[in-house]
Amino acid sequence: MLQNPAHAAQAPPATKPQAPVEKQQAPVDKNAALIGDFKARVEQYVELRKKADDTAPPLKETKHAGKIKDAQQALVERIGAARSDAKPGDILTPEIAAHFRRLLHPESKEPGTKAIMQEDKVGTVPFKINGPYPDTKPLATAPPNLLEALPPLPKDIDYRFVGRHLILRDSRANMIIDYMLNAIP
Amino acid sequence: MHPRRSLRAFAPLVLVIASLGVLAAQDLTLPNKPDSLKFAIIGDSGTGSKTQYSVADKLVASRAKFPYQFILMMGDNLYIGSDEKDFKKAFETPYKPLLDAGIKFYAALGNHDNPNERFYKGFNMNGERFYTFKPKPGVRIFALDSNYMDKSQLDWLDKELAASGSDWKICFFHHPLYSSGGAHGSDLQLRTLLEPMFLKYGVDAVFAGHEHFYERIKPQKGIYYFTSGGAAKLREGDVKSTAITAKKFDTGYHFMLIELVKDELHFQVISGEGKTVDSGVLPRFSDVEKKKLSTATQQ
Repeated sequence: MLQNPAHAAQAPPATKPQAPVEKQQAPVDKNAALIGDFKARVEQYVELRKKADDTAPPLKETKHAGKIKDAQQALVERIGAARSDAKPGDILTPEIAAHFRRLLHPESKEPGTKAIMQEDKVGTVPFKINGPYPDTKPLATAPPNLLEALPPLPKDIDYRFVGRHLILRDSRANMIIDYMLNAIP
Repeated sequence: MHPRRSLRAFAPLVLVIASLGVLAAQDLTLPNKPDSLKFAIIGDSGTGSKTQYSVADKLVASRAKFPYQFILMMGDNLYIGSDEKDFKKAFETPYKPLLDAGIKFYAALGNHDNPNERFYKGFNMNGERFYTFKPKPGVRIFALDSNYMDKSQLDWLDKELAASGSDWKICFFHHPLYSSGGAHGSDLQLRTLLEPMFLKYGVDAVFAGHEHFYERIKPQKGIYYFTSGGAAKLREGDVKSTAITAKKFDTGYHFMLIELVKDELHFQVISGEGKTVDSGVLPRFSDVEKKKLSTATQQ
């Protein structure tokens, strides 16, 4: 918790909020702004996907398994074309990534967290923007406390941890839309 | 042509012949009442291997004697990929006689599953990672995605459990909350999140997979837990007898048969060789008993 040393020595009257209170709130506001920025970037992606979805074959319930893969692939191609210039850090900007690290570090020390992350033995996943999450690799189970520490995501976008690294994944397209390295120590 | 595939072209005949051979060697311990709810459980089944086919044959055969209405899949339904051929090899072909007979499969997602399996009609997930269905008045079943237990899923579960007026509340998902497995063990984080909700709303029984063996757990705070992840994979010798173990089986493959008769859960676990490795009946705890047990010290 943030604490102004001057306040600790002599607290101001409760009825008269002083300027340092605003200073105390500043980091919180900055963090809120970062989260807001992240959400806006994700929302922008969701809008892009929606447009891709509208022109791709529908990814809906079917008894023909092949249609699921076809629809997924069509979505991948459309999203890939629509954001062909996307690069690492477009959504998880350096500032947002730094904030996420601050959120994740204490949680990663909670009992069982690293064990969950190491359990799946994911192996090598190519970190490529608009690239697929390999179909034959297990999807690393996301420790619930890490998910709770991060901002919630819209439906069908998820966080996945691959070793110490965090990927942002479109689960409908099974596609990596952004990633950050060394998300946890 | 795959020999199994050709055999499965004669599905009804296979079912009858198989039942003669397999069920002769096993006694049905379940009451098999006409009006009861009957279902089967398979976990970690999707390898497409000879072993999966062999266990599938036993599963098919058992239905001739115990006409279960549906099957719950504990996840890792497709290890080998999610192309059309993979669905065929690891699901549609081994279980063809059951699919042809109209038996529904209800799947949970495992860590080896592409979440888009939820769109596959054969898994009856309605396009969702987590869902609920009511197979019979008085029974509600909840399928969860334990790979990704985010707030949206927890909120959904809380709402659905609260709204469920069913007598029996059964949950199933991939990762076990209680396990004596050496390779994985209990998922403590998941337990911290889910168990309070299970206790609050009076969940009766929980089924999971992930561990490639069978384990029945001693009732924990009034809830029955089973791990059943050996329908195609086996981690031999992995389960230790711990204070929570009521019964374990890790020397062969298996599947489970379940029957709900009023306030009793009957179960029979059948090995890949067609032998019964565990069976019994568990009474459903009353709400008063559950409340008392939920505050009791964990065994």
